Amino acid sequence: MSEVIVITSGKGGVGKTTTTANVGTGLAQLNKKVVLIDTDIGLRNLDVVMGLENRIVYNLVDVIEGNCRIKQALIKDKKYPNLALLPSAQTRDKSSVSPEQMKKLTDELREEFDYILLDCPAGIEQGFQNAIAGADRAIVVTTPEVSAIRDADRIIGLLEANEIRQIQLIVNRLRMDMVKRGDMMTVEDVCEILSINLIGVVPDDEQIVISTNQGEPLVGSDAMAGKAFANICRRISGEEVPFLDLQKKAGVFAKLAGLFK
Amino acid sequence: MSQPVIIKSNQYGIHLILDPDLPFEELLDRILEKFLGSEKFFQNAHVAISFGGRELSGEEEYRIVDTICSRTSIHIICIIDQDEAREQYTKQRVEQYLAAESENTGKFYKGTLRSGQVLECETSIIIIGDVNPGAKIISVGNIVILGALKGIAYAGASGNEGCFVVALDMNPVQVKIGNVIGRSEDKGILASIRERKKTAAEPQIAIVSDGRILIEPITKSTFQNI
Repeated sequence: MSEVIVITSGKGGVGKTTTTANVGTGLAQLNKKVVLIDTDIGLRNLDVVMGLENRIVYNLVDVIEGNCRIKQALIKDKKYPNLALLPSAQTRDKSSVSPEQMKKLTDELREEFDYILLDCPAGIEQGFQNAIAGADRAIVVTTPEVSAIRDADRIIGLLEANEIRQIQLIVNRLRMDMVKRGDMMTVEDVCEILSINLIGVVPDDEQIVISTNQGEPLVGSDAMAGKAFANICRRISGEEVPFLDLQKKAGVFAKLAGLFK
Repeated sequence: MSQPVIIKSNQYGIHLILDPDLPFEELLDRILEKFLGSEKFFQNAHVAISFGGRELSGEEEYRIVDTICSRTSIHIICIIDQDEAREQYTKQRVEQYLAAESENTGKFYKGTLRSGQVLECETSIIIIGDVNPGAKIISVGNIVILGALKGIAYAGASGNEGCFVVALDMNPVQVKIGNVIGRSEDKGILASIRERKKTAAEPQIAIVSDGRILIEPITKSTFQNI
């Protein structure tokens, strides 16, 4: 049975696109058939993070307007043949697509794919309404900052109002050193405010910046963030996976850093 | 006066402005004429009536009402005095009654109110869940939150300062009761989370005391005061 998952956050810059790229790739590594849809019309960037920009011929708006068939617009991933990307249009805006059209599109894609991941634009306007229209479940990405959490709370309210029942939380870019010093909110603090189920915690990791710039998602690698994303993918597919002990790992790093001081 | 009889409507019903110089019998005819002319509009309406422009005796008032009631389909339920003091008094009593009513009847809301959500209620309200920062509850009566209040609560929205706000974990951004506003201390969200963790949350009540919002733990004596 296929699932349509929207990845959203309200606030911009918290890691929606990075999460979509990594979760999509991770699910493909689990041998699922996955399609990623960039719904951020006018601000196309998922293709860049996936390193597939040079392959774009048709885009989401072309499909919606009937300029091409869905198959023609889907771009196959470099590494995983069971992973596809439907890129956004760069020269149009959010009003080129309606929620009904998006729902029809995702329903058509259900026939072929196990997971349809929608990379949602920031904000709560039409782009957001389009992205959530066909979704069965939602993953809300936030960072442990008050502004991101406030926006996430608003988004969760809107998702609930749109009858999306399964809403899960990813806390992104957590810095254990700051948490330990008491300068950053803990994951528990964030969960207490948002009161939805946690599906993963991704530590702040410079490897993410490196992999994004290379256009190669780092899910499945040895980097902490790569492990965290791999675990999130297994949890999405229904497996029970214990949370990474970020504290312990941070301890090792701290010790190493201590040696060089 | 160009027109001997003018009908004006107000929030209670209709207000009749009468010519002070016309003989009463003629005036009565004119009133009837006027009402018959606008009967379609008032058809079967239940209205209160008040008089102005002319001093009327009790008997004259009675005859006007009787004429309207017997010759048209309008039902006049009462005559309202133009006496301001009495009007004020009546208004006050009606509002007191509504306030008491809103304090004594309530609704339940199950779920967490999130940022951007506003819940408005004509009665008191009991919320089973949290009120998050950025969310707002407005109640004509009292507010009871079986959860944490971290947003804005506005009790006694029609001006009743006798209302209260109760929460199991009281940490509001703002509390307003009647026309009195209290706001949270100026400190960061992270600092207030730390502070809350140090002390176990206890149920607290917000009331108006000496024209200010007072928040205190709920004790037995609290219930004697509200």
